[in-house]
Amino acid sequence: MAIIEQPAPASTPEPALPATPTRAYGAFKRPVATTGWKSWVFTVDHKKLGIMYGAMAMFFFIVGGIEAVLIRLQLAAPDGKVLSADVYNQMFTMHATTMVFLFVMPMAAAFANYFVPLQIGARDVAFPRINAFGFWCVLAGGLFINLSWFFGGAADGGWFMYAPNSGPVFSPSTGVDYWAFGLQIAGIASLTGAINMIVTVLNMRAPGMSLMKMPIFTWLTLVVQFLLLFAVPVITVALFLLSFQRSFGATFFDVAAGADPLLWQHLFWIFGHPEVYILILPSFGIISEVLPVFSKKPLFGYPFVVFSGAAIGFVGWGVWAHHMFASGLGPVSVAVFSVATMAIAVPTGVKIVNWTMTIWGGKLNFTAAMHFAVGLIVLFTIGGLSGVTHSVAPSDTQQTDTYYIVAHFHYVLFGGAVFGLFAGFYYWWPKMFGKQLNERLGKANFWFMVIGMNLTFGPMHILGLQGQPRRMYVWTEARAGEGFFNLGFWNLVASIGSLILSVGVLLFLINVWKTARSKEVAPLDPWDARTLEWMTTSPPKEHNFDVIPTVHHLDEFFHRKYAEDPVTHEIKQVATAEDILAEQEANADKHIHMPSPSYWPLLLAFSLPIITLGIIYSIPVAILGAVITLLSMFGWALEPSTAPDSDYDPPASGEGTKELAPLG
Amino acid sequence: MADVAVHHTDHADHGDHGGHGHATSTGLSNNKLAMWLFLGSECLLFGGLISTYMLYRGRVGDGPRPHSIYDIPFTSVSSFVLLMSSLTMLLAVSAAQKRDDRGTTLWLTVTGLLGATFVGGQVYEFTAMYNEGLGFTTSLFGSSFYTLTGFHGVHVTVGIIMLMALVGIIKRSKVPGDKAEVVELVGLYWHFVDVVWIIIFTLVYLIPT
Amino acid sequence: MTKSMRKLVASAAGLGTAAFLAGCAKDAPQDTWQPKGSNAQKIDDLQKPVFAIAGVIGLIVIAVVTYVIFRYRDRGQPIPEQTHGKPALEIGMTILPALILTGVGVFTFRTVFDLAKTSDTEMIINVTGQQWWWEYDYPVQEEFGITEPIISSGQLVMPVGTKVLLRETSRDVIHSYWIPALNGKRDAVPGRVHTLRLDADKPGIYAGQCTEFCGLSHANMRMEAVALSKEDFAAWVQNQLKPAATPADGTLAKEGEAVFLNQCVRCHQVNGLLKADGTPAIAAPDENVYSGAAPNLTHLMSRNTFAGATWDLLKKECRDNVWKATPEEFGKKYLAGVSEDCLNQIDLRRWLRNAPEMKPMYADPTKLEPTNGLYRGMPNLGLTEDDIDKLVAYLVTLK
Repeated sequence: MAIIEQPAPASTPEPALPATPTRAYGAFKRPVATTGWKSWVFTVDHKKLGIMYGAMAMFFFIVGGIEAVLIRLQLAAPDGKVLSADVYNQMFTMHATTMVFLFVMPMAAAFANYFVPLQIGARDVAFPRINAFGFWCVLAGGLFINLSWFFGGAADGGWFMYAPNSGPVFSPSTGVDYWAFGLQIAGIASLTGAINMIVTVLNMRAPGMSLMKMPIFTWLTLVVQFLLLFAVPVITVALFLLSFQRSFGATFFDVAAGADPLLWQHLFWIFGHPEVYILILPSFGIISEVLPVFSKKPLFGYPFVVFSGAAIGFVGWGVWAHHMFASGLGPVSVAVFSVATMAIAVPTGVKIVNWTMTIWGGKLNFTAAMHFAVGLIVLFTIGGLSGVTHSVAPSDTQQTDTYYIVAHFHYVLFGGAVFGLFAGFYYWWPKMFGKQLNERLGKANFWFMVIGMNLTFGPMHILGLQGQPRRMYVWTEARAGEGFFNLGFWNLVASIGSLILSVGVLLFLINVWKTARSKEVAPLDPWDARTLEWMTTSPPKEHNFDVIPTVHHLDEFFHRKYAEDPVTHEIKQVATAEDILAEQEANADKHIHMPSPSYWPLLLAFSLPIITLGIIYSIPVAILGAVITLLSMFGWALEPSTAPDSDYDPPASGEGTKELAPLG
Repeated sequence: MADVAVHHTDHADHGDHGGHGHATSTGLSNNKLAMWLFLGSECLLFGGLISTYMLYRGRVGDGPRPHSIYDIPFTSVSSFVLLMSSLTMLLAVSAAQKRDDRGTTLWLTVTGLLGATFVGGQVYEFTAMYNEGLGFTTSLFGSSFYTLTGFHGVHVTVGIIMLMALVGIIKRSKVPGDKAEVVELVGLYWHFVDVVWIIIFTLVYLIPT
Repeated sequence: MTKSMRKLVASAAGLGTAAFLAGCAKDAPQDTWQPKGSNAQKIDDLQKPVFAIAGVIGLIVIAVVTYVIFRYRDRGQPIPEQTHGKPALEIGMTILPALILTGVGVFTFRTVFDLAKTSDTEMIINVTGQQWWWEYDYPVQEEFGITEPIISSGQLVMPVGTKVLLRETSRDVIHSYWIPALNGKRDAVPGRVHTLRLDADKPGIYAGQCTEFCGLSHANMRMEAVALSKEDFAAWVQNQLKPAATPADGTLAKEGEAVFLNQCVRCHQVNGLLKADGTPAIAAPDENVYSGAAPNLTHLMSRNTFAGATWDLLKKECRDNVWKATPEEFGKKYLAGVSEDCLNQIDLRRWLRNAPEMKPMYADPTKLEPTNGLYRGMPNLGLTEDDIDKLVAYLVTLK
């Protein structure tokens, strides 16, 4: 859809139906459908892309979750026979890879894509087609990695894929190749998405929205994008070195040729540590929005939260070797990185204070979203504190590679990142879909998850401190200690916990399904929210805002609804959301140019796995893939981002076509 | 509703997204900001490759040592050629800003030719080295050397393709957006690739192991 | 939140804490909170206060949040004061943790360098990790009676109260040497040598495990450190320096020796073993094993675990006798080795019958292409039960 003619307020609004394009770029005419599957597959609308990111991420959450449950079933009893050693090693590799790269990151991208433009008062991101390309890349990469299950076995070297175990001799199956190439493809999405989002946030804010008036979710997302921008190239190098060794015989990690296995570790963790902040900061951003809304108070110490977020972004680059305390670095490096790691606990910890003080003195409304947000405060604290115990390097040499570490990162990732994402679901669902998720089911979802996760990961602290290492496909009774509460007991508890956790996830899926079938429409402003994205319809119109708002305050929406009496200091409502929206519609912009759909991003994205399949199996296929890549880039470059009017026939007699025009 | 009126000086505008002369908060257009960010990430990419090279440059196994296989005079000449191509790129940008299409395409073409000369020189150089016993899999030095210079060469090649494509597009008057800016962006990329080469040339060829 | 909800939460929290505190296994063999040597003690002295501080902070945060969610729930109060922050509080809560962590950092710094000291080393043992077992090489150290290099595997025997320095490396992928009771872990990396200090306060056996993912049987790569009194250690050294005795002719053990010469000696070295023609039988693992070595079995029965210390050579009762012995009795019991009565026939026979089935390895002769026909692990030798009887009888003599 090229131009949206805003109707005069008096007449009944009627969306302009798409016209038929006459000019073809490449083999096909430009797609124009506004409904049906084509309107999703060729879309460049950040909202649709956000939903697709979310659906894909949720699918991979389930895949990763099944992989986790299988792991726990294997470890529920001694000498487990559920999974063989080989399959188990693939299972934990893929569980971690899937959860990190195909669930948490894309789900955060889903929220960022959907809400950052809305929060800053923009109509889309800076480069909509690149945005679409990013989504298709993650999907292509994710599917590519998982193809390995069907073609010779998945990668089995752990998600950290240390060399030389990852090399062709010690990991001869194609699993690691699928893993490395799939991550490269998905990584392109992170990089292009980062550039896109930074430009959007820096350049496209509504008038009056200075950086310190931006919603906090957008701020922390911005920090994440800078982390991605600089971290992804480093793992790109690592993955190239690995692939060149495996596919072309280079000797980068071949010890016999003089290679140093620690090179991989350094490259991986220089990416890997910023990566964990990439995983957690979006969720920090989400609950920094949710807590104020359901406390009816602003975020306590907004500047501190912003600056501590940025501080984490900087200091996070200087702590990577705390993943290598036992790797043979030498005492100077170990001591320095140990102290640096303690330093980074400070800006992270400050946020706990900010969040607690936000809800302190508030008017707390315990919706499902609020449950998850408060849960994050507690669970992340636990995970963060165990992290502080790891920062003490000598202590870490006892803890590293044991279940104590597994406990730590699952508390911060599940109790932190995932709970934040779930808070986001319950909070923003009405905005995205016009319906609220069921609150009762939501609270049940929360309780099953919080009890399940504590039962699963709580005992792992004990297991680790009492000597159970990670990445073991089996454990024996003989080494499990004495007494009722021996390691065997806690392994069983953890496994049962994982099943309870699964029920929690299932309740969420049921909630989604029930809500989809329900006819109940959500009110415009169900939570009495504070930020700009709520100044739209639910779901927002394609162009988001009828008129771009001018911003005067942090929490602009709240300030339009409420005014503080200068004498009594009482806060009174002066406008409703409906009033504000009506005023927008009354002053709507006349000509709004929205970017047009395109198929080049999809084509370019899917040419990449063709190249990588070719590298694994047959070079001519790789060359074919490269040709498609090149042609797609040309087609894209020649296509204007918004189809000009001259491209389109005027619609015939009121009804426009909703189909893609025939070839020619 | 008095307070509401105060808040409502909402901006009725075209709602364009910062690409076509619409004022942006940073003052840089979206495209230019994007290119700078991309080049920033590329610094880390080459940083990783250079670090790998610096670590492995002395690990030659049975193969040739770095300085026994380099032809510094030859590489100096091709480096000079690449450096000159940055100058011609500047001239292309200048011509584009003056709306001089013929000048623009001329200097873009010269830049591309100089770039191709550089790449040709590298191909010749690599062939010679291979014949003298330094293959990609010969030693860690070989693997890291070819990977680092190869990545750079690919970047130059991509740049040449962009230059030639741009020449073609300008000739057919099909440039999307602001023509001078597109040339400037390609120029930024080209200069970056050149600067990276200066660093590589210094670290790889000039500094003794 | 309803009253019943509140009760539920409170009781759950209480139960959870109680379970956590009570819920430790007794005598978990790899417990990291039971130091038995000075290095582990240093770590423990540093970590216990840190855990305590972390625990206290955690409880404070949980308590405060719990208080807030009850105290400030929506009871119809007006919209609260829109407090934007309190810089003094925020700065204070930045400085306070920074100060605590600075303190922790200072002590950490000191301990890191303390643990890295090597100048006061008294004994050196070279440790080599390989998929999926550990080899120990004792270099000549006359002061301990080691007049010739000793090669053993699985159980690292050392004298009590001695500052031992392990020099670790690997023959294939990265492994990690970890005996929790004695020190933190240190990775064994191919192409590099890393050091790890160990010393034990008392005689005893201390369990450990490889703690860097090293492939298929990473879970089955274990080891123990065995500390003996100085006299007992000298006796152990003396025994290790002796070659294996030749069994008497006509015994089952002699026939087992023949089986060994036929099959096992391709990879496993037994010092003193003679071929039929009277020349020494030299094992050639470098020709058969990808990583180049297999455990030296000369004194197999002087240790009480096998196959990467994953299975016991001792039957359960005999094992408990040794593993749970008091420090005073331990040396004598350990040095007694594995007698025929105490031998764990079941596991040893299973291993000889079909090792890859017991411990996943890459030893299928039809699938050795990636390693040019070399094994990564012990194959199924296709031994008959008869052969196994003979072999067991022979192995029992390797004290």
